[in-house]
Amino acid sequence: MKLRYLVKKELIEVVRQKELLFLMFAGPVIQIIILGYVVSSDIRRVPVAIVNLSRGQVAERVSERVRRSPLFAVRFESRQGADTLELLKKGRAKAVIVFRDARGHGGAARAYPEVQVLMDGIDSNTAMVAAGYFNGIIKGYILDDLARRGRGLPLADRPLFRFNPQLRSINYMGPGIVGFLLTIITMFLTSASLVREKEQQTLDTLLMSPLASLEIYLGKALPAALVGLVDMVIGLLVVVLWFGIPFRGSLFYLLVAALVYLAAILSYALLISVLSTTTQQSMFFAWFSLMLFLLMSGFFTPVANIPQPLRLLADINPLRYLIQIIREIFLKGNGIAYFWKDLLALAGIAASLVSVSLLNFKRFISR
Amino acid sequence: MGRIKAIIVKEFFHILRDPRSLTMVFITPLVMIFILGYSVSYDLDRVDAAVIDQSQGRQSRRLAQAFAANRVFVMHGRESGGELALAEAEEMLRGRSLRAIIVIPPDFDRRLAAGRPAEVGLVIDGSDVNVANLVLQYGERILLDFNAGLLAGGGAAALPLRLDTKVFFNPEARSQFFFIPGLIAVILLMISAMLTSLSISRERETGSIALLFISPLRSREIIVGKTVPYIIVALLDGAVILLFARFWFGIPLRGSLLVLLAFALLYIVAGLSLGILISTTAPTQRTAMLATLLITMLPSFLLSGFIFPLDSLSPVLRALSYAIPATYFLRIIRGVVLKGAELRHFWFEGAMLAVLGAALLAAATRKFNRQRKAAQ
Amino acid sequence: MTGATPAIAVRGLRKDFGSFSAVRGISFDVAPGEIVGFLGPNGAGKTTTIKMITGLLRITSGTVAVNGLDNRRELPRVKRMLGYMSQKFSLYPLLSALENIEFFGGISGLAPRELRAAMARMEQQVAGAILRQKIQDVPPGIRQKVALFVCLLPDPAIILLDEPTSGVDPEARRAFWSEIYGLKTQGKTLLVSTHNLDEAEYCDRILIIHDGELVAAGAPDELLRQKRQASIEALFQDAIREHGQD
Repeated sequence: MKLRYLVKKELIEVVRQKELLFLMFAGPVIQIIILGYVVSSDIRRVPVAIVNLSRGQVAERVSERVRRSPLFAVRFESRQGADTLELLKKGRAKAVIVFRDARGHGGAARAYPEVQVLMDGIDSNTAMVAAGYFNGIIKGYILDDLARRGRGLPLADRPLFRFNPQLRSINYMGPGIVGFLLTIITMFLTSASLVREKEQQTLDTLLMSPLASLEIYLGKALPAALVGLVDMVIGLLVVVLWFGIPFRGSLFYLLVAALVYLAAILSYALLISVLSTTTQQSMFFAWFSLMLFLLMSGFFTPVANIPQPLRLLADINPLRYLIQIIREIFLKGNGIAYFWKDLLALAGIAASLVSVSLLNFKRFISR
Repeated sequence: MGRIKAIIVKEFFHILRDPRSLTMVFITPLVMIFILGYSVSYDLDRVDAAVIDQSQGRQSRRLAQAFAANRVFVMHGRESGGELALAEAEEMLRGRSLRAIIVIPPDFDRRLAAGRPAEVGLVIDGSDVNVANLVLQYGERILLDFNAGLLAGGGAAALPLRLDTKVFFNPEARSQFFFIPGLIAVILLMISAMLTSLSISRERETGSIALLFISPLRSREIIVGKTVPYIIVALLDGAVILLFARFWFGIPLRGSLLVLLAFALLYIVAGLSLGILISTTAPTQRTAMLATLLITMLPSFLLSGFIFPLDSLSPVLRALSYAIPATYFLRIIRGVVLKGAELRHFWFEGAMLAVLGAALLAAATRKFNRQRKAAQ
Repeated sequence: MTGATPAIAVRGLRKDFGSFSAVRGISFDVAPGEIVGFLGPNGAGKTTTIKMITGLLRITSGTVAVNGLDNRRELPRVKRMLGYMSQKFSLYPLLSALENIEFFGGISGLAPRELRAAMARMEQQVAGAILRQKIQDVPPGIRQKVALFVCLLPDPAIILLDEPTSGVDPEARRAFWSEIYGLKTQGKTLLVSTHNLDEAEYCDRILIIHDGELVAAGAPDELLRQKRQASIEALFQDAIREHGQD
């Protein structure tokens, strides 16, 4: 088994550099922990300004509720008309809440003031969420007010969230990052591997040896797969033990999906290594691919939001399927019946990538 | 100065010798912004849903209609045409073909007719928290309108408070306006860091670092000489990216381009300095490559405000975000591009970028100097 | 020299990189058991020629036969006969000398027992700890020794050495050449490229290459006599000048 020596060599090269070792095994843990805290901090303390031009009691009571809410941080208050646009421009507030006394038809003051919310719409997501929070406060006030007068709203809604009842973001994002780290580590271990052999002048010796090109190929892919799997296990442990995310599904299918995914991503990385002539090129290639893989995977924003022609790109993104499967297994505890299509798609992508990459690799070797 | 020039010229030749890399430096960001500018979006415009109407009365049907009439909710029934049973709908929720189920209980019409409050169940797939929140909001808005209708129809006063929302800078609330400037910031930082991150480790691997060590140049001059040529490359790249965003995506440039480029210069220098620090620290190119990616990618995604608002972070993480160059440039670029903010709004951010750049450069010089002494 | 099949027979060998011709149709033989020096300045085409002989570089036109076998049609068999040591001693810098030996021996098909024996042999030649350090931290002389050792592990009959003595101090160079003589007595054939002209005296025959063309070939003394030159250096300068004129 000549392959054994190739694998051993690759692993020695990893282990012998303490910096690389640190990046590969401690790096992911740190990143998962930071990500965990970032995503589990749901939108809070939205900076707002209150401009209260109303003379009534209602405006003051609603303002008080805003002040007490942990969802808002009141940065500025004024009883006179302020330059609201300047407040938004400077970024001191993401929203300005303005109360005015409303006039009825005859010009008589109404019981309730008019409320206007001026929002910085750049971060449309935060703006939407903040608007939702504010609606909640207003709704709460109205309900209380109506209840005080012995009436209630005729219709109430009772929301129920499946699979993630407390809507913890980490439950959704945490398992996904395991897939992402698997990608980053294995891709960077392998995408410069042929360039590196060339720069070290060891490629010629490899090619002069009786090794078959498939052996060289596997000799590059297997050690990286091994490192990737170890990283994945570390990542899963951090996600489950540190963040207490329940693992509901089958470990077996998770492993199957991970192995199929590794075949796809490693053959892709080896294709990069065939195509690049300097380390810098392979780095750019890998970076470019990684950004697209990550941002079109549904990890941060839903795949469903991608417009049609570009959705095709998302459809051939292997990371998308891995993350989908991980979430199905983790969050819902779903069995294969719910993700066999994703697994099949992933396997199809893996098969095509492996054949294209192996073909190019062989051509490169026999040059 | 003349001695630095030699290094700069040498480094320039290195850039020009590898035209493929240089092309990639300019092409890849544009392709990325093109694809991701469309793809990274929070704009949820379709919620697959089903109504389970167990009441089958006049009001319940009106409510079901209100959901069906909404632009966002796309209603599903049985393929045969009938309504889904609750268990079937739950199964579809599990299988991702539904996002939400609106359950109208059997006593719905009876209660409303009797003037007693009724309830509606909203069963939402909570796995993606962001989407779930949006779905809840859309749903509640429909219910609120329905409430108002009931109150008005019942002869009582309409909702007692008028709420009016105005959105500035991005009136249609397109998340492109949010993400594209962010992408520019993240990409520019990563490109800058990658440009320099291999330079010293490459020389270390080929052994030519010995020549640098014994050269009469000071360490500071070597480090600066290896950074300067890339400022021009990265700045040009930044300008190309900005113009692309301006003319392709119609991201407005409300402030001054000159102001933006001035800040971009500081930002790029910080990125290049980060790269050169990585390069002096990493023993091989492979390590440098992995380090650059791990250090720049996720932190600039997570801790800069690119995706997650910084105000919501815990104090520790917020403190960390001050060490990330992208944090500052993100504020600057969003401010200048979308709000027409001016130089005076960002003196703090600019100063922080300059300080970060200088500190990273100094750290790289120290590191290099120490290795140089150890080698002699 | 006549009669027997040459170990290496090169005929009309040519290599073009785009519009640039690195090797312009050269022909020569290397007889079995002979040490042939391949001399020429940097960029003359030495490495390109050697790489074409090994099959690592595609031939533009011409042929190479190794022990009578065409290296394009019979590449796997040809590779097994050849040992090749590239410039700069291609070893894995992060692996120790012993690990390099184990690796290269392993991939060329040596059994674990043979590998252990080989490592023991190396340890007899070079003492102790230095063989367990990363090879990148080891002096060039030792690196060169390990590289040659590694190249000989599969016991090839024909050995191609590309600039084996560059960057090595004079003492290590002498030791190296005495090892080369040892190999000759074992019946090995050697083609050694160098740009150190004083190494010509160690060779049975020399080939001088310049600008991709062969400008002189023959035994060193014979060549000196023929061209009436006092030293290889003068011979070399003269050959190049002559070549430049036509």
